[in-house]
Amino acid sequence: MTRKKVKLAFIINDSARKATFKKRKKGLMKKVSELSTLCGIDACAIIYSPYDPQPEVWPSPLGVQKVLSKFRRMPELEQSKKMVNQESFLRQRIQKAKDQLTKQRKDNREKEMTQLMFQYLSADKIMPNISMVDLNDMAWLIDQYLKDINRRIESLSKNGQGQGQGQPQMVAPTMAINGVAKIEDNGQGSNGHGNNVLDMNMDAMQKQHWFMNLVNHGGGGDEAAPLSDVNNHQNGFWQNQFFH
Amino acid sequence: MSKKKSSLGRQKIPIEKIPKKSHLQVTFSKRRSGLFKKASELCTLCGVEIAIVVFSPANKAFSFGHPEVESIIDRYLTRNPPQESSAHQLVEAHRNANVRDLNIQLTQLLNHLEIEKKQGEEIEHMRKARQSQFWWESPIDELGLNELVQLKGSIEELKNNIGKFASKCMMEQSNVPSPNMGANGFGRYDSLDNKFGLGINIAPPPPNSYYLGFRNGYL
Repeated sequence: MTRKKVKLAFIINDSARKATFKKRKKGLMKKVSELSTLCGIDACAIIYSPYDPQPEVWPSPLGVQKVLSKFRRMPELEQSKKMVNQESFLRQRIQKAKDQLTKQRKDNREKEMTQLMFQYLSADKIMPNISMVDLNDMAWLIDQYLKDINRRIESLSKNGQGQGQGQPQMVAPTMAINGVAKIEDNGQGSNGHGNNVLDMNMDAMQKQHWFMNLVNHGGGGDEAAPLSDVNNHQNGFWQNQFFH
Repeated sequence: MSKKKSSLGRQKIPIEKIPKKSHLQVTFSKRRSGLFKKASELCTLCGVEIAIVVFSPANKAFSFGHPEVESIIDRYLTRNPPQESSAHQLVEAHRNANVRDLNIQLTQLLNHLEIEKKQGEEIEHMRKARQSQFWWESPIDELGLNELVQLKGSIEELKNNIGKFASKCMMEQSNVPSPNMGANGFGRYDSLDNKFGLGINIAPPPPNSYYLGFRNGYL
């Protein structure tokens, strides 16, 4: 089958037009037939062309008669409700495409924002080239992300996973994640952010405390908990950090 | 690793009644739309007149007609030859011109959509690639409890910093009316416009690949 992109305009060349008509008409009839069979429904098609005074029909003159009668028997409203012509059909498709486009753009923006958030995490700073609107959206995204994290933490904690797998090892003085974001002051010197190193260590110690709690709350020797893939996966990651 | 395929792709199916009802409904919906699309193309390309009537599994009547379903049905049932008055032809010409424009509009939209989809895939791809280096970029569901807790801490700190940063910015523009900092999600994005740049550093998009430009409305 030809896969050339056809321009959607009246075909000027007579013989080309006639050839296209023959092919596409055949394809159209086939599609109607398939639709009818696959879905077990009644259908009909009527085609008037300049090549034949009589219209071409599917399934048959009698079949068309039956379907049209069934159609005409319905109340006017029901007949016209889903009735379209080229214009209205195109408008419908345009609306659908618009809606899809809006959604896709929204999703993409969220994805981009998430990437930016990760950037901030690993870069230790918020680049000042961000607009207020983006900032606002970023704040929203962060909240949503935190919600998701908390939800997941809760569900994992309930199932008693993620305990005591050599936890004490993980609490290295330099936190594996560099990304404790700091504000980049535009040359305003360090107001209270001067002692970065100290801050880091403080955080490290707080987190150490946190982890120790986790280990202790493991629920009295629940080491029998099966090592799920998640936990193995986790170990792998942690090990990587130490080899930096 | 949860890898969901968005669709099964094109599959060959036997032409007989579909056994599963839900499958049947979906098929009807898609194929009906495709059928009308093909009919519409045939009309445009070859200048022919068509009517199609189909009944849905729920017995609703869907019909497509060019120029109109009604006129074609009438013409068929009464075996009357069509009237070709000059007024009639004028209406036709006008209508065809509209259709041409609508087709152009639709094509543009579909192109934009295709571009956005590709962009989305690229971002996904990039994120996946980065996950081996930056574990915190993995989907939340793939992280272990301890990783989550640590990530949570970092993000909370980021949140804090962002808050401080924002206040700082706001103070710096105390002369300029401050923007509405409502807690909206991303729903507002498509009303963005660069007028916002008054007094705020709206720098060009950062040198790396993240584009946070304002999107204008399409078409």
